[in-house]
Amino acid sequence: MEIVEYSRPRSIDEALRLIRDRGGTPIAGAAWLRTNAKTIKLGVDLSELGLDFIRETERGVEIGAMTSYRSIETSELLAERFGGALGAAVSHVVGVQLRNIITIGGTAAGRYGFSDLNTVLAALGAKVVLYPKTALDFARYVETGAEGPFLIEKFILPARARAAFSQMRISESDFPVLNAAVAKTNDGWRIAVGARPGATRLCPRAMAMLGSAERPSDTTVAEAAAQAPAELRFGSDIRAGAEYREAILPALLRRAIAEVRG
Amino acid sequence: MKLTITINGKNELLECAPGEMLTEVLRRAGYVEVKKGCDTGNCGACTVLLEGKPVLSCSYLAARADGKNITTIQGRVDEARRFAQFLTAEGADQCGFCAPGFTLTVLAMRDELANPSEADIRHYLAGNLCRCSGYEGQIRAIKNYLEAQHE
Repeated sequence: MEIVEYSRPRSIDEALRLIRDRGGTPIAGAAWLRTNAKTIKLGVDLSELGLDFIRETERGVEIGAMTSYRSIETSELLAERFGGALGAAVSHVVGVQLRNIITIGGTAAGRYGFSDLNTVLAALGAKVVLYPKTALDFARYVETGAEGPFLIEKFILPARARAAFSQMRISESDFPVLNAAVAKTNDGWRIAVGARPGATRLCPRAMAMLGSAERPSDTTVAEAAAQAPAELRFGSDIRAGAEYREAILPALLRRAIAEVRG
Repeated sequence: MKLTITINGKNELLECAPGEMLTEVLRRAGYVEVKKGCDTGNCGACTVLLEGKPVLSCSYLAARADGKNITTIQGRVDEARRFAQFLTAEGADQCGFCAPGFTLTVLAMRDELANPSEADIRHYLAGNLCRCSGYEGQIRAIKNYLEAQHE
């Protein structure tokens, strides 16, 4: 990617002004700039805005948009509140060196189909906060995007949830063939499926089948897992065919639900 | 645009284009120990330490490094030489092209993880590709090196 002009604002208001008034393009982790052929006239670097944090507030657990994958992977707070789900979703991404660069905000902004992290955030019922105060349901945001231009400030997760991440990939650091995340939150069970290869989507009917039971029976788990593929569209790409993806989803979901159920 | 970067403890005044990546800027300044491998964020050959943390310089915007501390393998040369003895003992270094980035990642792991298991080591080094060694010798060398550090 070619950047004609570069700016590294020190405040989020200044960054938003550059994006809105001067047509600036936000630069988050920037790890993929190298392989992008586009030209942008003004790159607005978000690295000095104080958006690198993982913290607990009265609203839940907040993750700043410029928090790196490595920080998410090694966060004791996130591990304690959500088990290993978030760590598992980011730890497959290439190596530690790239995970020190890639950010949660950049991943969310891209609404990438291959994203493991977006699937876990959707399952947890996260909200994405567009500065200054628009909070959107993250799963909905991935599906529809947002009216631009905007700046992602942070993500708000519930204070605590049991969650599990399940995936299939051909090799350790490749993009996934399919991923799934399951969470039991205060609002009930949530199921998200990504890398179909389209971006992550919830499975409302399968979620409803699990209801609010703390420990759904094996039969209920199997029925919910079998129901989920009917709610989703699958596609074929270099990694797998649509039929294969559809066929393996129930197994991924049974494993994830069983892990959450304990 | 102009950048001031501290590289291996030395303040450098450098120039870069707004969209340029750090590998290019470092190599142009003479830090050719930073290897240009895949140039797409996959092989680890271009690894440097940024404020002590390993990053891929091919995937790190040079402009963002303004005001920061960068360490190349030349900045940790004494430790690198000690580690190289363990690599040599296991026959785990052949062409050597990946060695600067690989060695910096090993040193970063040693700084970050207290007692890494073999699984931890393999996970931490997953971003460093080597097309000569087959990795097993490298893993033995790392384990021997870490063990010797504790003695």
